[in-house]
Amino acid sequence: MNLAIPTKSEKELTGRGKRGIFKTGDLRMNARPMQEQKPIQHMRRNPPIAGEAEAIAKAQAGDAQSFEMLYSLHKRRVYSLCLRMLGNVAEAEDLTQEAFLQLYRKIGTFRGDSAFSTWLHRLAVNVVLMHLRKKGLPQVSLEEALEPSQEDGPRKDIGERDLMLHGSLDRVALERAVENLPPGYRLVFVLHDVEGYEHNEIADMLSCSIGNSKSQLHKARMKLRDLLRTGQRKEESIA
Amino acid sequence: MSDAHNKLSGKSMNCAEFQERLPELFESGANVSQEEHVLGCENCASLVRDLEYIAAQAKLLLPIHDPSPKVWNYIESAIQNEHAEQKIPEHSGKRS
Repeated sequence: MNLAIPTKSEKELTGRGKRGIFKTGDLRMNARPMQEQKPIQHMRRNPPIAGEAEAIAKAQAGDAQSFEMLYSLHKRRVYSLCLRMLGNVAEAEDLTQEAFLQLYRKIGTFRGDSAFSTWLHRLAVNVVLMHLRKKGLPQVSLEEALEPSQEDGPRKDIGERDLMLHGSLDRVALERAVENLPPGYRLVFVLHDVEGYEHNEIADMLSCSIGNSKSQLHKARMKLRDLLRTGQRKEESIA
Repeated sequence: MSDAHNKLSGKSMNCAEFQERLPELFESGANVSQEEHVLGCENCASLVRDLEYIAAQAKLLLPIHDPSPKVWNYIESAIQNEHAEQKIPEHSGKRS
């Protein structure tokens, strides 16, 4: 099986962001000297994976089993990314399929300038965004999605009782709250706070201004706080 | 000291004015919890703590969801179909 069907270049897929810069010992195929580092919390997103470099090389040479191994190594993260961006299981599965089919077609263009996972996840993000643009629904129009209606927006938090969110937030609750964010907020929040993209990268991906990305991120966090506090109130009333 | 200077440094800001500036403060990388207004306002201090905590927890969200097995089945089948259409022979010893 020949997996190398070049279409889009690696640089086009990864952009010019700061991601994918790793300490010595990573599995990039042509590692360059490190000039910039992401914070540790983002570094852990692309840890070295045993056997990955070999699997990439073999898959590029057309080895089907190695491609399947790459799927096994990355399916969870790609699917989780799709699910968080879309909030819909069926769509997330469809786009996970599409992302790996694109990987199959494009893996020959991967040269190792960035970490493979960084490259793959950017590919997956592009697949999701393309899908959203094609759908033509309100959540697809990024301008509209980035400007949810006022009732979706966060309330000004003046004089409201502190619910002591700090220290008591569990990740299941956060996952659920992210699912309930308006689509435009969710996109920016997932891309920035969960996936670690910079605002300039997000602005490029979503065709919006950097200021818009920053503003939407803040609104998303405010909305999340609102959702989490509401959840806490409900739990307290049940208990 | 002028009103403008006080506002810039966070002094004499009310909660609404401070929260209006919050996105800019977070993005500037400033230590928001040490802002003048925050030090004197428990409500906004709580807000800042919560927003910082949400951002920190988001970075720790792990990929916990697995796709169903049918996803790989579909991918495998689609790849096989593409190969059949392109009439590219399998490399794994099936050539005669």
